[in-house]
Amino acid sequence: MDDSARRLLQRLIRRIPAQMLKTTLEKWGRLTAAQKQSMDFTEPKWAFTERLLDICEENGWTGKHITELEMTYVIDNPNQGMWYAFQLMDPEDDARSVELTHFKEQFKSHLSELARPVSVKIKKHADDAIWIRIAWGDSFSRPNHLKPTYVVHHLQTPYVFVTSLTSKQKPFLSQALVLSTRHQAIKDASLSGRKLGAIRDLLMRQYQQVFPTSYPSPLAERNETVSNPQIEKEQAKSAENRLQMACEAFGDGMLPQLQSSVYKLETKFKDHTNKTMTEREEPFRCVVKFASTNLLESLRHCAASGIASTPVTPLLSSIPLKGRNYFVIKDNGPGPSSQTRQTQN
Amino acid sequence: MSCEGVLSHLSRLEVQARSRKTQPQQRSRVTELKAAAEQLRMQREQLRGGGGDAQGGYDAIETRQGQGLCLSLPTAYDGVFLETYNLEIDVKPTPRIVRHNIPPFIPLSDLVEQSDMQTDLRTFLDTLSQHLNAFSGRKQQLKLLKELHKSVEVMESNALCSILVMMVTVPKEKTAVLCTLDYTDHTRCLPTRVHFECNGKLLADSPDWDKIRSLLLETPVHKALSDIRTMGNIV
Repeated sequence: MDDSARRLLQRLIRRIPAQMLKTTLEKWGRLTAAQKQSMDFTEPKWAFTERLLDICEENGWTGKHITELEMTYVIDNPNQGMWYAFQLMDPEDDARSVELTHFKEQFKSHLSELARPVSVKIKKHADDAIWIRIAWGDSFSRPNHLKPTYVVHHLQTPYVFVTSLTSKQKPFLSQALVLSTRHQAIKDASLSGRKLGAIRDLLMRQYQQVFPTSYPSPLAERNETVSNPQIEKEQAKSAENRLQMACEAFGDGMLPQLQSSVYKLETKFKDHTNKTMTEREEPFRCVVKFASTNLLESLRHCAASGIASTPVTPLLSSIPLKGRNYFVIKDNGPGPSSQTRQTQN
Repeated sequence: MSCEGVLSHLSRLEVQARSRKTQPQQRSRVTELKAAAEQLRMQREQLRGGGGDAQGGYDAIETRQGQGLCLSLPTAYDGVFLETYNLEIDVKPTPRIVRHNIPPFIPLSDLVEQSDMQTDLRTFLDTLSQHLNAFSGRKQQLKLLKELHKSVEVMESNALCSILVMMVTVPKEKTAVLCTLDYTDHTRCLPTRVHFECNGKLLADSPDWDKIRSLLLETPVHKALSDIRTMGNIV
């Protein structure tokens, strides 16, 4: 095993939490039963790494095997770093019939042509997700396996999720994706988060949305707690309405965990008491950021409890409706009478 | 209001009459919208007429003071109710979908483009329902296949369930054969093409494999595999 492979393994073992080492190695599936037995998962990591390196030498493994181990770990523990969503646009007629083998071949060949040298590994996960690991090189150096980009895509959907991609690498990845999925363009979906599953569920609508139905609201039924019939809740009806509107805007049950929503305002300053600011020609640039461990849950609670007025403002309900958490808001129209807020794609 | 006199009432009527005079150009727009609203109301009545059974009726209900229409598209396969999908449509100025929970691999925007939601909402909904029911059916078949046939390994499938590659074992020679089912018609639950590969090569035609092929083309995959197993062709 060469130096770079050794360094990669050392880095990887340092990165994997001690309690996950055993399961990750199991999933990797390359160690024999005897080798697994010989590993001591209680010893300090540096000693553990030495033992694992010995086994790799014994088996004649190379960097390729180590990257496979890394991919196994990342697929099971994707929530490290920021994931960004992209959307493929304008599918060609045969986009709907792109199948896995074809996609893999095309993606590898296009990317290698565009960004030589590059090391690409593609793996299909049980849940139809295609995972791509890319190590980038340039004219002076071999692919750098210490800073790989990870890409996740489900065929026949327009969404692609990416982490650890630099602006220099972006055009190459974009082009390779567009060509291999038979689309004409790709754009930034303005959605990012630390949890891959959350942004994926939001875009693929894999959470419990609430639609008005002619049947009695299941929410109301659920909230009917057995209480003393002599106690009457004065505002029960309005609380129920607020809850209904909050759930229609954000969803019911467990919501995809987003951490933030950013609004970049490029609107003119409006305050009658402050003439200096109001008279300025240029817009007042300002960024408003909402942050939370579970943003959608927090916003739903704000609406249900009355802290945020209902019906929920489109500025907030656009997050799940449009599946994005970055908005640029500009003024529309010339004079103050026709000034409206408009969200920009 | 007893404190209001006749004069104030008359002046109010005068204001009303004056304002009516200054709105002639809006009248044609108003007539347009009224016609559109009437058409949609008729369609809504048609949709409601089915009463929620499989024949018609997508449980249409009005929302947002008549501005919106919310529809439910239930899916079922083999007598089992599966997912229900929903659409919320804004009726004015022209009908457009504002909210839905339809998965992204169903070509919703294509279907919207291909139909006229204003004059024939029913056809659009029927076609969409066809796609959704077929998808639910294929998905259900895949689930049953995995549950009932543990000796068959699913090598490839996709979110749309439009392709299925399985590995089956032939008992005599104990060889593995890859069966590929292509569901190119997304409005159907049955495949349009079936082919077999052994050791990287397409299998030659033989009466046995032809039988298996026609079973897979005509019967839902989980049922076909049970039949094929009974015939003794696969393990």
